[in-house]
Amino acid sequence: MALADARAICPDLATRPADLAREAAALAGLRRWAGRYAPMVATDGVDGLMADISGVPHLFGGESDLRDDLQARLERAGLHASSAIAGTRGAAHALARHGGGIVADGQLAEGIGHLPVTALRVDHDTAEALARVGLARIADLIPLPRAPLARRFGAGLVLRLDQALGAQAEPVAAEPDAPHFGVRMTLPEPIGLQSDVMAGLERLLERLCAKLAQHRMGARRVRLELRRVDRGTAQVEIGLARPMRDPVRIAALFAKGVDEIDSGFGIDGLRLSAPVTEALAPEQIGGQIGGSATIRHEDALADLLSSVGNRIGFDRVLRLLPATSLIPERSFLLAAAAYSAPEPIPHRAGSKRPITLFPPEPVTAASGTPPASFRWRRMRFTTLRATGPERITPEWWFDDPAWRSGLRDYWQIETQEGPRLWLFVTPQATGAQDWFVQGEFA
Amino acid sequence: MTSAHVQPYAELCVTSNFTFLTGASHPEELITRAAELGLAAIAITDRNSVAGVVRAWSALKELARLRDEAQATAEAAQDGPAIRSQRVTDHSSRQTVPHFTGATSALAQNDAPLPKLIAGARLVLTDSAVEWLALPTDLAAWSRLTRLLSLGKRRAPKGECHLQRADLAEWGQGLILIAMPPDPLEDAHPKTARSDLLSVARTFPGQCFLGAAPRYDGRDQARLDQLAVLAQGVNLPMVAVGDVLMHRAARRPLADVLTCLRLGCSIDSIGERRLANGERRLKSGAEMARLFHRHPAALRRTVEIADRCAFRLNDLRYQYPDEAQDGEPAQDRLERLARAGLHWRYPAGPPPKIVHRVEKELTLIREVDYAPYFLTVHDIVQFARAKGILCQGRGSAANSVVCYLLGITEVPPESITLIFERFISKERGEPPDIDVDFEHERREEVIQWIYDRYGRERAGLTATVIHFRSRAAIREVGKVMGLSQDVIARLSGQIWGWSSAAPGEDRLRDAGLSIEDRRVQLAVQLIGEIIGFPRHLSQHVGGFVITRGRLDELCPIENAAMEDRTIIEWDKDDIDALGLLKVDILALGMLTAIRKAFTLLADHRGQQLTLANVPPEDPPVYDMLCRADAIGVFQVESRAQLNFLPRMRPRKFYDLVCEVAIVRPGPIQGGMVHPFINRRMGREPVEDLGPALMEVLARTYGVPLFQEQAMQIAVVAAGFTPSEADRLRRSLATFKRMGTIGSFRDRFVSGMLSRGYDADFAARCFAQIEGFGSYGFPESHAASFARLVYISAWLKCHHQAVFTCALLNSQPMGFYAPAQLVRDARDHGVEVRGVSVNHSVWDCTLEPRPDGGLALRLGFRQIKGLREEDAGWIAAARGNGYPDVESLWRRAGVHPDTLERLAEADAFAAIGLTRRDALWAAKALKAPAPLPLFGPDGEGGVEPTVSLPQMTLGQEVIEDYLSLRLSLRAHPMELLRPHLPESLPHDRLGSAKGRVTITGLVITRQRPGTAAGVIFLTLEDETGTANVIVWKQVYEAFRKAVIAGRLVRVTGRVQRDGPTTHVIAERVEDVSHLLATLGRPVMIDANDGRADETKRPAGGSIRSNAHHPREQAKKLFPSRDFH
Repeated sequence: MALADARAICPDLATRPADLAREAAALAGLRRWAGRYAPMVATDGVDGLMADISGVPHLFGGESDLRDDLQARLERAGLHASSAIAGTRGAAHALARHGGGIVADGQLAEGIGHLPVTALRVDHDTAEALARVGLARIADLIPLPRAPLARRFGAGLVLRLDQALGAQAEPVAAEPDAPHFGVRMTLPEPIGLQSDVMAGLERLLERLCAKLAQHRMGARRVRLELRRVDRGTAQVEIGLARPMRDPVRIAALFAKGVDEIDSGFGIDGLRLSAPVTEALAPEQIGGQIGGSATIRHEDALADLLSSVGNRIGFDRVLRLLPATSLIPERSFLLAAAAYSAPEPIPHRAGSKRPITLFPPEPVTAASGTPPASFRWRRMRFTTLRATGPERITPEWWFDDPAWRSGLRDYWQIETQEGPRLWLFVTPQATGAQDWFVQGEFA
Repeated sequence: MTSAHVQPYAELCVTSNFTFLTGASHPEELITRAAELGLAAIAITDRNSVAGVVRAWSALKELARLRDEAQATAEAAQDGPAIRSQRVTDHSSRQTVPHFTGATSALAQNDAPLPKLIAGARLVLTDSAVEWLALPTDLAAWSRLTRLLSLGKRRAPKGECHLQRADLAEWGQGLILIAMPPDPLEDAHPKTARSDLLSVARTFPGQCFLGAAPRYDGRDQARLDQLAVLAQGVNLPMVAVGDVLMHRAARRPLADVLTCLRLGCSIDSIGERRLANGERRLKSGAEMARLFHRHPAALRRTVEIADRCAFRLNDLRYQYPDEAQDGEPAQDRLERLARAGLHWRYPAGPPPKIVHRVEKELTLIREVDYAPYFLTVHDIVQFARAKGILCQGRGSAANSVVCYLLGITEVPPESITLIFERFISKERGEPPDIDVDFEHERREEVIQWIYDRYGRERAGLTATVIHFRSRAAIREVGKVMGLSQDVIARLSGQIWGWSSAAPGEDRLRDAGLSIEDRRVQLAVQLIGEIIGFPRHLSQHVGGFVITRGRLDELCPIENAAMEDRTIIEWDKDDIDALGLLKVDILALGMLTAIRKAFTLLADHRGQQLTLANVPPEDPPVYDMLCRADAIGVFQVESRAQLNFLPRMRPRKFYDLVCEVAIVRPGPIQGGMVHPFINRRMGREPVEDLGPALMEVLARTYGVPLFQEQAMQIAVVAAGFTPSEADRLRRSLATFKRMGTIGSFRDRFVSGMLSRGYDADFAARCFAQIEGFGSYGFPESHAASFARLVYISAWLKCHHQAVFTCALLNSQPMGFYAPAQLVRDARDHGVEVRGVSVNHSVWDCTLEPRPDGGLALRLGFRQIKGLREEDAGWIAAARGNGYPDVESLWRRAGVHPDTLERLAEADAFAAIGLTRRDALWAAKALKAPAPLPLFGPDGEGGVEPTVSLPQMTLGQEVIEDYLSLRLSLRAHPMELLRPHLPESLPHDRLGSAKGRVTITGLVITRQRPGTAAGVIFLTLEDETGTANVIVWKQVYEAFRKAVIAGRLVRVTGRVQRDGPTTHVIAERVEDVSHLLATLGRPVMIDANDGRADETKRPAGGSIRSNAHHPREQAKKLFPSRDFH
């Protein structure tokens, strides 16, 4: 059902956009938990788990007790689940999605015969074609000779049927765990000197970066946890302006944080982890490691952004990005430099824009159009030359509070006093205050 | 305006909305605004097109008329001219009604003379960045402009125009050419622009100018200065132009939306491509003077140029082909043919009245010189006759005896009252209008013959301007404004067919949209504004313009979307406004059906019938019509007509003429139906109106039914001249809109009083004429149609099987779907046989029965998705019949998909295969072709047989409907009846009283324009049909069920009106979901006993479970909806 249909039926319907990534993460978490029931648990589609429980049920007191235990635990966790146990993967899949239950050994055909053919993991077209000739249930398919069936509906259907009935093997394969980027070091003797910590950090970094390189990843955040002998911990975390796995340059960013650590009675354990990582393809590293031969421009910029960002916060280091709008203040975007890629500002046709742009500041004692003289920032200006007007109307589909006063006529004003200002007037506004300065030309 | 000094200014660069998806104002709006601003002249210059100029010209004419009238009556407030694009023709009533947006603002009165209109075009060349405004100075220049445009359009695909500098150099003589160079401040290649300017300026010295348009972007002075320097350099005098896109700045949002549609982006991604400001609007002379204060000469030149452009659209002297043949002048030839016709039509010698009448008509035709026009139509009809294509003239042409004698019309002139003035009037100066209907399947032959005979440069179809209607407007504007796809689909899905109103609040709520949302408000407002905007040109259904000289010297010709068709840029109304003659080559499905029926009769019964020799005045035919047994009969099969027939009780041909004419908006609104019926049934005496009027009205019991009668009353009783009366009829609608009908009423009533009629009677007569408007049929037209009514009724009465077969083979046409036609045939005892691979061909056929009757065999054409070519192969390779599915595949060589379609249609039943068995066999062949080695012929051996589950009756019916749209097995309602115990079968409605509940498939929905907001539903169940009337309030409450329901349950009161029974709906429920249960309602029981498990129907209830049941039902049981 389309959302609009649902809304029309129930106007107060609460809706949330689907978050596929979080759903997948939740399923992965559930998969790890389900390890308590079987060594081999795999995800089954986007909404199911498949466990190979061979040899397990007696630990729980039998298949039905195991299933009850599973259902009860999930229910307590607030999850509604439907589960089935069967001799084959296909049969369990089919039954779990059509009510659930347990198929007794050797009774596969009876156990799933009443289910519709769609339960067999066949595509929609095949299921529809089967329905057209009246084969709606799995039981209708089972007695049929396989050859004519395969000829008409393809080998896939027969394979799925055989898998469900156990004539074809279909093992459950567990999926590999995601790599963990963390290394630790325990020290026999406590250390307290900054240089010692840095030395330990360098050795940890070597290992962490090797691991990152192995998985072709780069760190965006690196966290150093220090365990003191008195069981207290200290923590230093740095951000990186771009994914990175170069130990030397990462270490340099730690220097300031490590400097501020109170080592107390000494530190006897270090743990280094990369909580945020991004893919980073293998790349050629300029110069020799440790040497200062060549540092590429973007690396240098990234280092600068990293060090500035670690001091004042990455959300305060901004860069300008182009935007297409005729409204001056929306003709560019400000974006956090560490989380955006630079883009060239395209050539813009039309009249000149000032070098600095600020929120409109009212002008007093303006006389005439364009004003022959006016006061701005408590200074008096006399107009030498005025060019304009450039008429800009608000973007009508976008309600911008700053533009509620209607269209603006912009003028470039050269003043006798020197500054070249960008003034505008709002002829449609109702108030008395009409003239504003919005920018200054170079 | 208070300023004493008015700056004269002529706007020479205006883009109207006939530059599709660019201009944001109608030509009418531009003209009105120009008049308000007091401009000296306005040029309409659309991009490579002159499509909008006639509308502008008509608007200007209307303005002049309004001004004269205002001066005469000293009335202050007046409407502006109506915008034609914003008016729609209601299809059921043929009334023209304004959109809700059609409010034109009152025209501000000023005393300045009206602006002069310059018809021009903006030439955009493919090989130059410089665009040229081309303004013709005289008729010859106009012809060169249209030939230039035709040249560019004929060599480009539809809707485009490819012109080059060389073409301009060849055809530019006599045109004022104003260059629109790229912006000198931004131009990357100033040298190329300069050389382009120079080359054209050298070719046409003294004709060329340089246009300078302010942009209001802060650099206008610099730009104008630079353009002035450029103008000096290339020696082109500079001219001020506005480069206008809209008539007022308020159209800026719409202009941005149009930009989005053109560029295919949304409003959020339009970026810098929007209009920075609303300055591309029409400006007054004073404002332009302010902008060009440093270049006053540029402003002065606009007026000089406007003065040089002497061409006016009135100058288009239209020359009709002379149609002289073998040195015989047209008039002589017409007279010879007419006299020959006298002998042919009246073998026993013509009555003197007719001879006299012919002479009178011929004299008038000679005076106004229309003989060639008659000959053209005569020749077309002759051609069609020679090819065996049925045709018949309709409309006012049947008022002419000459048309009858030439064989154009078939209605004997003595059977109706003839008013030649209705057809041609000397005073009116308007061309006559002969419409000829042809068989719809063979009309293309006639069209191509006309192209062949006159050549493409002399004959062209008129265009139809396709406007934005509700659906398209919602879809396109919604997309631009960022509404989601499903919301748009819902919004547009609630629109009745051709509606042209923006969605209202309740509609928005239904679609799940919040009305408070600003975006939604904007979208709705823009949807309302864009409705009525032209979108592209399409071809008119059959209006031909034919000229003696070159047609492309009159108007540009372009390629149509259909192959081998060329159209001109103007539509029917433009042609009328300019007084050009047009021949309407119309298509009529019933003629096709009648021709097919005649052929079948000749084949099976040896009867040679033509339109002329069908036995006339046959009582059984009238008996049948009196029973309202008229499904499939031409014109009288609609709900209103079926209701009317038993009351009318037609007994002779003239009754049919009345029948056709009376169920029309005019007579209904004029309140003529009830007096007519009452007088006809003798319940009310026919009042004596005096001998003069009784001569006019006696045949219709003193009630005026036809347009002619309304005119004649005015002539006979009120002393109007015939041409005055005709003008009264034609302009009634306008008068009513303008509120100026009063003077006519006074004149009419006083005219009647002075002739001794009663004042009360005079007022009533006028009220009737008023109610009439122009929406009644002329008697001649009704008579033409009544002939087809009689012939089709005769066929139905005596040869039901033949008639149904011919109707099925002429689909799509008429009011009823094949299911209803087949059902009607079976109700009349015709045996209908299913589609069979061993018996059917593409068309439905007739098979002799042992008892001498004829059985109807459905043809392959009934199977959805089957191609005619495949059907041909199947029939050709059939031999003694196909023994099995595979032999058909091998012998006929059709694609396995076709086999599946045949199997689904149960076409293999004749060879003993059930639907599923056949499908099973067909599926086997669909796989990659099996090598013969493994097939039954080779070593593969015989495939093991399988036994498939039997289908239930419900499934068979559903499958029948899916594949054939009809079922010969059972009606779906028959199977659903146990689930609907409360519903009364339709055949018991006749004896029911009070409140009842009925359920049925919706077969037709009608919302006639005459009955305000009332909807008529026709429901069908296994026992018959029921008529449901849904009043407006009930409709509002159950809107969705009424519009979208396929199977509906209606609760309401029974109302009996003579022999017909209606149900007045009080409650309408959509129970379409029940149809889905007919298929395969397999429910899965959860086997672990958990009560909260969801039960799902398995295997898909009908074919696919991906859709909402209602969607399925919509596809399964389509209704025919009329609006």
